[in-house]
Amino acid sequence: MRLYSQHLLGIIVLSVLVVCIALGGGFQLNEVGARAMAQGGAFAARADDPSAIYFNPAGLSFQGSSIYLGTTFIMPKVTFYGPSNLSLNDETKMVDQTFTPINIYGTYELNDNIHIGLGVTNPYGLGTEWPANWIGQSIAQKIDLTTYFITPTIAYKVNDQLSIGAGLNYVTGKVTMKIGLANFPFDAPLPIVNLDLSATGIGFNAGLIYKFIPDLSLGISYRSSVKLDASGSAKFDPNYTVLALPNGDATATITLPATGFIGVAYKAMKNLEVEADYQYVGWSSYKELAIGFKADPTKNEVLPKNYQDTYILRFGAEYTMDNIQLRAGYLYDHSPVLTEYVEPMLPDANRNGYNIGIGYKICENWRVDAACFFLKFDQRKAENTVPTIAFDGTYNMTATLIGINIGYTF
Amino acid sequence: MKQYIVLFITFAALIAALLNGCTDSAPTAPVIGLGNSTVTKYVSIGNSLTAGYQSAGLYKSAQLYSYPNLIAQQLTKAGATIGTFEQPYWPDPGIPDQSTGKASRYVIYGWSGGTPLIGPIGETVIAGAPENAATVLRPYDNLGIPGIPLAGFMDTTGTYQSSPLGSRGILRWDNPGSPFPKSVFFQAAALHPDLVTFWLGANDVLGFAVSGGYSPNAPTNPAIFSALYTQALDALRNTLPNAKIVVGNIPNVTSVPFFTTVNPLLAPHIPGPYYLRYQRHGTLGMAFDSTKLTETNAPLVTLKGQAYAALLGMPTGQFWRDAAALQGKTIAELYPALAGAGIDTTKPFGFHPQNPWPDALILDADEIASATTAVNNFNSTIASVAAAKGAAVVNFNSFFNNVKVNGIVIAGEKYTADYISGDIFSLDGVHPSDRGYGIVANEYIKVINASFGMNVPLVNISALPKLSAPLAKGGNGKIDPVLPFGAFNSLDLLFSPSVR
Repeated sequence: MRLYSQHLLGIIVLSVLVVCIALGGGFQLNEVGARAMAQGGAFAARADDPSAIYFNPAGLSFQGSSIYLGTTFIMPKVTFYGPSNLSLNDETKMVDQTFTPINIYGTYELNDNIHIGLGVTNPYGLGTEWPANWIGQSIAQKIDLTTYFITPTIAYKVNDQLSIGAGLNYVTGKVTMKIGLANFPFDAPLPIVNLDLSATGIGFNAGLIYKFIPDLSLGISYRSSVKLDASGSAKFDPNYTVLALPNGDATATITLPATGFIGVAYKAMKNLEVEADYQYVGWSSYKELAIGFKADPTKNEVLPKNYQDTYILRFGAEYTMDNIQLRAGYLYDHSPVLTEYVEPMLPDANRNGYNIGIGYKICENWRVDAACFFLKFDQRKAENTVPTIAFDGTYNMTATLIGINIGYTF
Repeated sequence: MKQYIVLFITFAALIAALLNGCTDSAPTAPVIGLGNSTVTKYVSIGNSLTAGYQSAGLYKSAQLYSYPNLIAQQLTKAGATIGTFEQPYWPDPGIPDQSTGKASRYVIYGWSGGTPLIGPIGETVIAGAPENAATVLRPYDNLGIPGIPLAGFMDTTGTYQSSPLGSRGILRWDNPGSPFPKSVFFQAAALHPDLVTFWLGANDVLGFAVSGGYSPNAPTNPAIFSALYTQALDALRNTLPNAKIVVGNIPNVTSVPFFTTVNPLLAPHIPGPYYLRYQRHGTLGMAFDSTKLTETNAPLVTLKGQAYAALLGMPTGQFWRDAAALQGKTIAELYPALAGAGIDTTKPFGFHPQNPWPDALILDADEIASATTAVNNFNSTIASVAAAKGAAVVNFNSFFNNVKVNGIVIAGEKYTADYISGDIFSLDGVHPSDRGYGIVANEYIKVINASFGMNVPLVNISALPKLSAPLAKGGNGKIDPVLPFGAFNSLDLLFSPSVR
């Protein structure tokens, strides 16, 4: 009885925290658990906490029943210099914003061989906002994409060496976007379209973990792409009635890319685990962002993106001392954006990420994890941008991410 | 345990500090300068396109965005010591229309049934001469003279400059005691420029095209054009042996909205069994040529024709009354001639052979071919003469052909050759808008930089004004403009000097 009331208290505390955490999204966010984040996200070969639901569902087999939840504070900083194709080198700073994608997981051990779990994450999201009336207002003013992945998952432990797992992704997405009407000839404030769109989609994920020996494991996982056919409303501001701007129903289609991990983890010393992962991201699914206006399809906009498939290299380590775990990691994230397609709606560059973190086991049931992650983007020069963008310049970018998670084990 | 948390926080702080130190420095600004050259005087020679003519008018608020003035500003940024680039400013609302005495410029003054109302609005002209005629005691740096053909460059008789422009307004030959030499060429030479832009020749074909092949009835003879062009560049090169000379070639007339706007608007109003009956080049009376305006190589109804679009199928002699008025006659005076040629204005206008669409409002296939051949001949002359005289060439022909097909995106904003919505051309559909002139200036600057090793910064197009329009009034935004009868007749005068 006492045991149950303690569990109940834990669940209530966690529920309150969930409600208190600001929800949001900040396009791919692999920061879905502070423990993995502190290790450069190199986690697919172990996946021994509930974030396995994201990294590798097979990992559920090697853990018990628990709840794990947290958030990541993402604080990007972007400065644009240009546009150089107009001989300008003017500095424009992106509006500072903090994004807080969440992660909530529950896992449950049905029996020795079957584990189930449920996860709610925001693995794709972005937000950029540029100052009002800036020179690039026809290309990018403000965009926020938030996706929720609700992922019921099941894992089957074939034997002590091999586990397999799979999950279903029920995805809800929301896009709010402000962009200047691209063809507006009059000497008056540019009509900015406010798009408010939402969508749902379905995908799946699957993975396996194989332990060659107890200290050496291999993890492979895959998550499918998800096509989001979003619909909603468009509202122009200012709305010049003379121009019959296509207010009303609007649509957009975004395909979230497929991704896969392959990783190897090794217990190098009694207290030290190390892991190296290769993550593939199928960004070539993101060819364009097509915006449709029901009221006047001649005003439809197709924003070319032409992203390329890419990869991320991840390295992490965790050192355990009593009830404290110290973690560190590094990642290299290769940009999916070609130089001639770099644009301010989501400027991107190759990134080096440096991570550290700490885990603390407060008592038998409770633990807390924190991670600090500094993301340094290579300076990106947008040169000879395609004629549909024609916006050359230089982007300086950094991001700081702080992750916090709390776990409760039954 | 505590020490680890302290350690973690220390590490976190360290990383945060690192973060700020890790930010990339600002990129170095693009190099700006004149390379190994100096520019102490820039002179622009040309026609209405060079003067900064817009929307069938010449007025200060448009002249400030003439391409020569924009180039001069960019040259100054690059270190040129050209001082004030002097242009002959006509205070807004600008020059008068010869027939009304009121300002000739067109404006969008409202919206009707969802379409823009465009026309001159009877603005009272403030000044008959440039406001700075008495204060600029030397030739103007901008010698763009609306209306002049190539032959006007060396002319010392004033034949090619219609009042109030040309010889009186811009060249100021008849100011009492005028010290100004008597030709565009002599005035340019007197300024001793080390950089000259020269963009003449368009009027040797444009007047023919704008008037529907009516006035004059043929482009300048290519052999004469060639002789005049050679003479002009010879004169410039011999007088200014060290000057950097940049010439512009001639866009295809059919790449401007004056010729491309109306066909798609008018075609839906030609019902199933009917055809537009139109006067082919040189036809005076009845006409049996017919078109749906949608076939390949269809004749092109000019923007002037848009004014008469609503009269299609109606028993009307509106066009002939307006044509008579333009000649200072009444319809009664003109009518016997019309009747003699078989015209019967009680027949449905545009649909009946006896009340055909007038030659002056349409460029037929022969006229298009004639204009295109002229442009091609002129441009090959320009290319060869420029090469022989060491002048760089800006290929506006290919530039505007590309704009017509693909449009152009600058800083995310799309510009096209569409009337009004494209924002490259002003309301007359021939002359650029403020931003259009900025785009022209940048084409010159690109050639100047590439040819002379300079790094003159480009004009920031996004900072130039767009078209002015009363957007607060009603309408549905379809660009199906309502134009007054006789619209753009002033362009005929502009492009048709009395002698060629």
